[in-house]
Amino acid sequence: MALAAAPAHARAGSLYLHVPFCFHKCHYCDFYSLVDTRDRQAPFVDRLIEELAALAPSAQRPLQTIFVGGGTPSLLRTDLWERLLAALDRWYDLASIRAGSGEFTVECNPETVTPDLTATLRAGGVTRVSMGAQSFNRTHLKALERWHDPDNVPRALTLARDAGISRASIDLIFAIPGQSLADVEQDLDTALRLGVTHLSCYALTYEPHTAMTARLTRGEFQRADEDLEADMFLLIRERLAAAGLSAYEVSNFARPGEECRHNLAYWRQDSWLAAGPSASGHLAGVRWKNAPRLDDYLASSTDGFAPIVEFEPLDPRRALAERLMTGLRLREGLDEADMLDQAARLDHAAPARLRACAERHRRAGLMHPGPRWALTDSGILIADRAAVEFLAALSP
Amino acid sequence: MPDSSPHIRNFSIIAHIDHGKSTLADRLLQATNAVSPREAKEQILDSMDLERERGITIKASAVTVWHRHKPGAKADDLETDYEATSDETGEHKVKKGESAEAHGDLYMFNFIDTPGHVDFNYEVSRALKACEGAILVVDSTQGVQAQTLVNAYLAVNENLHIIPVINKIDLPGARPIDVAMEIEQTLGFKAEDCLLVSAKTGQGIPELLASIAEKFPPPRPPVTDALRGLIFDAVYDDYRGVIVYTRIFDGTLKVGDKIRMMGTQRTFLVSDLGKMTPKPVRVKELGPGETGYVVAAIRTLKDVRIGDTVTHEHHPAAEALPGYQPPRQMVFCDFYPSTKEDGESSDFEDLREAVEKLSLNDSSFTFQPVHSEALGFGYRCGFLGLLHMDIIQERLEREGGVEVVQTAPTVSYQIVCRAGTDDIVSPSGQVLKKVIEGMPHYAPPPPGHVLLEVHNPAELPNPSTIMEMREPICRLELMIPKDKIGDIMKLVLDRRGQYKSQSFVSQTRDLLQFEIPLAEIIYDFFDKMKGLTSGYGTMDYEVIAYRPDNLVKMDILVNGEPVEALSVIVHREKAEHRGRALCAKLREQIPRHQFEIPVQAAIGGKVIARETIKAYRKDVLAKCYGGDVSRKRKLLEKQKEGKKRMKNIGAVTIPQEAFMAVLDTGD
Repeated sequence: MALAAAPAHARAGSLYLHVPFCFHKCHYCDFYSLVDTRDRQAPFVDRLIEELAALAPSAQRPLQTIFVGGGTPSLLRTDLWERLLAALDRWYDLASIRAGSGEFTVECNPETVTPDLTATLRAGGVTRVSMGAQSFNRTHLKALERWHDPDNVPRALTLARDAGISRASIDLIFAIPGQSLADVEQDLDTALRLGVTHLSCYALTYEPHTAMTARLTRGEFQRADEDLEADMFLLIRERLAAAGLSAYEVSNFARPGEECRHNLAYWRQDSWLAAGPSASGHLAGVRWKNAPRLDDYLASSTDGFAPIVEFEPLDPRRALAERLMTGLRLREGLDEADMLDQAARLDHAAPARLRACAERHRRAGLMHPGPRWALTDSGILIADRAAVEFLAALSP
Repeated sequence: MPDSSPHIRNFSIIAHIDHGKSTLADRLLQATNAVSPREAKEQILDSMDLERERGITIKASAVTVWHRHKPGAKADDLETDYEATSDETGEHKVKKGESAEAHGDLYMFNFIDTPGHVDFNYEVSRALKACEGAILVVDSTQGVQAQTLVNAYLAVNENLHIIPVINKIDLPGARPIDVAMEIEQTLGFKAEDCLLVSAKTGQGIPELLASIAEKFPPPRPPVTDALRGLIFDAVYDDYRGVIVYTRIFDGTLKVGDKIRMMGTQRTFLVSDLGKMTPKPVRVKELGPGETGYVVAAIRTLKDVRIGDTVTHEHHPAAEALPGYQPPRQMVFCDFYPSTKEDGESSDFEDLREAVEKLSLNDSSFTFQPVHSEALGFGYRCGFLGLLHMDIIQERLEREGGVEVVQTAPTVSYQIVCRAGTDDIVSPSGQVLKKVIEGMPHYAPPPPGHVLLEVHNPAELPNPSTIMEMREPICRLELMIPKDKIGDIMKLVLDRRGQYKSQSFVSQTRDLLQFEIPLAEIIYDFFDKMKGLTSGYGTMDYEVIAYRPDNLVKMDILVNGEPVEALSVIVHREKAEHRGRALCAKLREQIPRHQFEIPVQAAIGGKVIARETIKAYRKDVLAKCYGGDVSRKRKLLEKQKEGKKRMKNIGAVTIPQEAFMAVLDTGD
């Protein structure tokens, strides 16, 4: 059991749940999901509850954030949601979440949101929905093999708001084949008109082993030009900033205070527990990933824990590398003193190398001056390259 | 033992690559019981791991085995099932039954292995000089190939008796009759004289052993009582220093003798003599006609020249054996240490150590330190050919543990300059070496001029001082399926090749002969030829002369800075085409930077081609959530590793592959 490898007193403030069911496998998606032909929803929820019970002792009390992702969590039947939410309430302390200082997000597909579902979620403590809109343009949705009606997005948001779920985010994808700058602008305008306080805008990524990538390789379409993609990226940042939603991460935008606290926990290398097939957890430097196949997940249990396929023990160098990598993606960046202090524990020359690396980025206008390592707008555009430099500076 | 020399046979096996030379060697050793089947590792004569992996033999070595043969025996009487061993003294014993003599006379077979590739022609011809006979192996499914011919020519030049052997007759696709006809057509041996053999099953091996005894002539009688031994190979051993392989022509070499190398004039004391059987076996002396190894506290391979003559210090021969030539380096490239992660210090010292260590056991590559503004300190190295270059690079990395950036190979040029009182120097201040009479491929420059050697476009002096540039020309032999001849003609003529002849090999294939600049075939010619002939064509080449042509130096400027390591010497008429191809290739291979990078090709300051590498705009993955962290970190670590193989030139980082971009001729 991976949790045993973490320091004895480590407790996670966050919890991720993975619901693998989908209507249809979207062509760009590389998350673990399946189109369920047998009805395995009930056994899945039973098994998930078992795992949640097993993980609970490693959770902070009260718990700070919960995120339910997928797949399509909103596809889960309402009665099963009720059981799941009751179990969460039983095994975890949801006081902060219910008081509004915590956060409980559920990913939703616009077409699966019903009044029953939103009422159930609200009653169970859900404070936030993340709506997978991707685009409001039917042609572009089709290019992504998404078949929902874009009009369902405002409908679903209204249902959530009416039920008392106060916070909402929309997911958009850009750099879709055939998409123009004006098209992106239109999607942004539509999203802003819906009054959301948080947006995630992802450049379309061609993940290996996805249908989209296979189609690209077969030459069925042309991917967006790198320059156009960069222009879109900058346009989005500009437009949303003007609307009061500033970029706090590479692909995430929020009104002040509306940032996704659960995701910030990932990027700040806080600890989170993970339940459900293919879910990945992190507890005080130890990382693990649950077995991805639903059947394996259902069939196997050790004291309630899921079978694990990946495990990374505590390794200060790796932890610092990951902290640099995710921290550079954040507007808040990284605390220089903290980073140098951690690096000094690895080898005495590492702080000097890292400081020189930061200095190079500052001179090139890629990093802001000051006590934090925070990339500028032009720096964020090349955050991966910056991360490679910092990782290189970290190794002796 | 002078009276035993009528029963000595010195011979080599020569073949096109993969025609089964090594398997046949194994089978011969096994048939003479030199190795048990258990010991018969595949390709037993090759000793370096790298060689075994590549399936080729790099260093020649010699093995001595004994064989009983009744002169004039019929094939039916031939047998090989006796046991033969040898003891420390080299005396031979037969252990089976009481009358070994009943099996016939005892023959000593000295089997001299040769490298199989054209790059090592010089070594092949050295090995052949130690022989009286050669077994020419041709694959019965493949037929005569270009290398078969070139190897056969080498053997004919050495006046060797040749036994043509058609191998792999056990294979379903074997066509021994057709192949015998090809051998008759191309080489003039009678088809019925070809022996049919399967090295794999052993079929035909007794007949081959009989032919070796009957057909190959014994060594010539000594012509002087002074010692003369030909050094035909030398290998470096970590414990014993250099081990020299020699063929004794005259006199006798004994342990304790003081020897002199007639070429280098170096003297050594012989501490050990022996033969490989194939296990090393010590002997007290080596007499006329024999081959064996010599250990004499020789520290480095530089002290030994292949082709040199060994004689006694106190009773020297008047004249050396004929035919010593230094190995000719035809292909040159630079090795530089890869830039380290911090972009700062490069470990030139590690490279130096690796290069010097390697030179201990391969004396046929040359190296001299160079400094390039772009790439720092490194070595300019000369090789016998492209394969040789690849082998050296691989061994530097594998055995020397250094990562190198390699520049694209160039050939060695000769330039004609006006003779003055001062030496003519390269832009970096190095005095250019003169080519003088007696050196290979010397043709006198006009009066008042000197002929100089240039191994590197960066070494070319001011163009206004160059009267003429000469480049190496090869005789190229191609064995080509008849229906592909048109394509091959076009390929060769596009590369400034000159058609010489075409001759019939078989119903399906012809032999084409061309003369072509070496520079035109060192890059991708082989691959192109293989592609056009669906793999059925074969080629071989030999440099025959240096000839002048309208050659110019083309500079490549990256971000406005000339990168000497990318400059090339090209034919004027092809310069623009090559320049465009090169710039386009570099545009693909140099990653985008934060700024726009112009890539230009220029001749004497005039830009003839240009491409632009756009500034990169975006390099960041969209998503990095809880489950992505490990994967993403690994991805970035990989990119970090990739950076190691890059070089910083001014503000531009150039990956190693880009230095090979010159290879792309744009055809």
